[in-house]
Amino acid sequence: MSRSTRGARGMLFLAVGMALSCLVSTRANAVPAFSRKYQTSCQTCHSIFPKLNPFGTAFRLNGYHLPGETEEQVKQKPVSLGADAYARMWPEMVYPSSLPGDAPFALNVKMASLYASSHDDTGKTIVHNDFQFPQEANLFAAGTLGNHFSFFSEVTYGENPDGSGSVELEHARLDLISAFGPEHLFNFRIGKLAPNLYDGFQEMWLMTDNGVDTLFTYNPIGFNGGTGLAEEGGGVSLPARTRAIEMYGVATHRLFYTVGVSSPIGPGSSNGQFNNGSGKDFYARVDYKLGGLGLDGDSTGVTLPPENWRETSFRFGAFGYWGDGGDVDYAITDPEGNPFKMRQGRFSRLGVFGSLYLGDLNLIGVAVHGSDDLSLRDNDTGAEISQTTHTWDAWFAQADYVITPVFQVSARYENLRPADLSVDTQQTLNANFSFLVRANIKLMLEYRRDLHDSQNYQLATVLRAAF
Amino acid sequence: MNRPLVLALVLVTGAALPLAAGELHGKVTCKGVRDSGDAVVYVAAIPGKTFPAPKEHARIDQMNLVFSPHVLPILVGTTVDFLNSDAVLHNVFSPDACADKFNLGTWPKGQIKSYQFKKECVSATLLCKVHPEMEAFVVAVPTPYFAVTKPDGSFHIANVPDGAYTVKVWHPKLKATQKAVTVAGSSTADFEIAK
Repeated sequence: MSRSTRGARGMLFLAVGMALSCLVSTRANAVPAFSRKYQTSCQTCHSIFPKLNPFGTAFRLNGYHLPGETEEQVKQKPVSLGADAYARMWPEMVYPSSLPGDAPFALNVKMASLYASSHDDTGKTIVHNDFQFPQEANLFAAGTLGNHFSFFSEVTYGENPDGSGSVELEHARLDLISAFGPEHLFNFRIGKLAPNLYDGFQEMWLMTDNGVDTLFTYNPIGFNGGTGLAEEGGGVSLPARTRAIEMYGVATHRLFYTVGVSSPIGPGSSNGQFNNGSGKDFYARVDYKLGGLGLDGDSTGVTLPPENWRETSFRFGAFGYWGDGGDVDYAITDPEGNPFKMRQGRFSRLGVFGSLYLGDLNLIGVAVHGSDDLSLRDNDTGAEISQTTHTWDAWFAQADYVITPVFQVSARYENLRPADLSVDTQQTLNANFSFLVRANIKLMLEYRRDLHDSQNYQLATVLRAAF
Repeated sequence: MNRPLVLALVLVTGAALPLAAGELHGKVTCKGVRDSGDAVVYVAAIPGKTFPAPKEHARIDQMNLVFSPHVLPILVGTTVDFLNSDAVLHNVFSPDACADKFNLGTWPKGQIKSYQFKKECVSATLLCKVHPEMEAFVVAVPTPYFAVTKPDGSFHIANVPDGAYTVKVWHPKLKATQKAVTVAGSSTADFEIAK
């Protein structure tokens, strides 16, 4: 690899890392509103927030109802919006519902000290050692509206190193739970959401501070296909969040499925920019869990240890996302520096997922194969010059280990083979040490490194509090 | 007075009196709800035995946007007065056929409207169209032997003649149950109900 290429990629590594760490983040999140509602600890649902343990996963998939929930488990008595008897008088009378007993709000605050090193084009090492106090604050509202509706929303204020700030509505969705048929089988969600397509490996559900950028931040745009991660303004990768209508459910306690229709995302961001195109993207996933707690919380015939982060189970499945990049022109240059425009046409992302629990150890792995139709266009007239299909592959493997509930560690290897074969495969290591100071306060030391260049790395010390 | 005469008098007067009045008490454990209150424990219909409706009216108050009591067991034929003690209008209606799906209209503070529960009705849901969250239950049963459990699940039914009965338990949110109970003096019966 040439020095300039290494330098450029190093800068990108740094820039992406800094951008994802400093700007509006999708890292989330524990929702203490549920702790208040049930008068229970964060650790009922999280091994270390925001990572969910098997019970927390069931709670989430049940639409924020405890498995087999009974009235006395809900310590905050909800506000009735109609007597139960109105249910049998529907549609002559309004179907009964309820509101959370207290305002269902919660806050997360994140402080970070970021140290990052990289090469620029001249080979110079750039170091940032920045106290980002705070880096972001997240305001959540989450809860249930009677037995069949739930909601989740998140507004994030991100503070940039230069003191500027940005606010984003990261999530705003309404869920219809067990709409009809067998319990847990037919649920619907609508809104701006993290698709259940990524259940278990989207940033919201990882214990690490960094997300899996090789999956969600790849930029497929380039003269010979994508070359690596997008800083900003790239094409559509695997959208971490979408505006979608989604159906999902759990059958026979262990089979999970989801299908969704979403509004196209882009240009260039997996973090929430939308082009409001008239076309729609589609996604689907199906997986199965062997052993452990059922995905709906069913424990029939299963012996589980009292340590609720432990179990012996294997969840595996496949997923796909199909979309169209829309009529968005990206400015590119050929290897000689001549300007062109590039459009991302139809694309597909096919992946497999696996999560193995062996007591205190949780191994997670995902592999994605991407295919993009790219349309090269004249820079001046916009006329199409050629259309080609480019493919790329990305995968990661992560090991999370609970030393004790107080101390937990994680290591992740990420591998990205971009579509442009002239670019090396990108390999990244992400290591995390987490200290659960209290059930709702955690301190993390996280190291992220480009395995091709020892000078491209990032060390973050992060303090998170949820209340 | 000699002893044989005394014995004869006791036997004669005893035969003319009702059976000895006992009592039934015990506890209903309600699973899956916040407490074990509001369960109605009652003696089911006794073959060949009827009970006249009481002349006294029962009463349910509407105060602070709540029906009080929340659960009211009555003997079939009892008239229930519905008092509005709030400064806002209230309504009382029931969607249940056993209460003729009555609707008493709307009335202001201090006024009473009444309804006689002529049929056995387990149970009649009471609602207020003006305030949809308001809910109460009248349980019209065929015998005067009934009680509502306290929050700890305990109940006490007085003046139950000694005998063998079917005792039933009803709850607004839980499945009803029943069992055979023999009352002899002070007797105990416990129940457990769930969804």
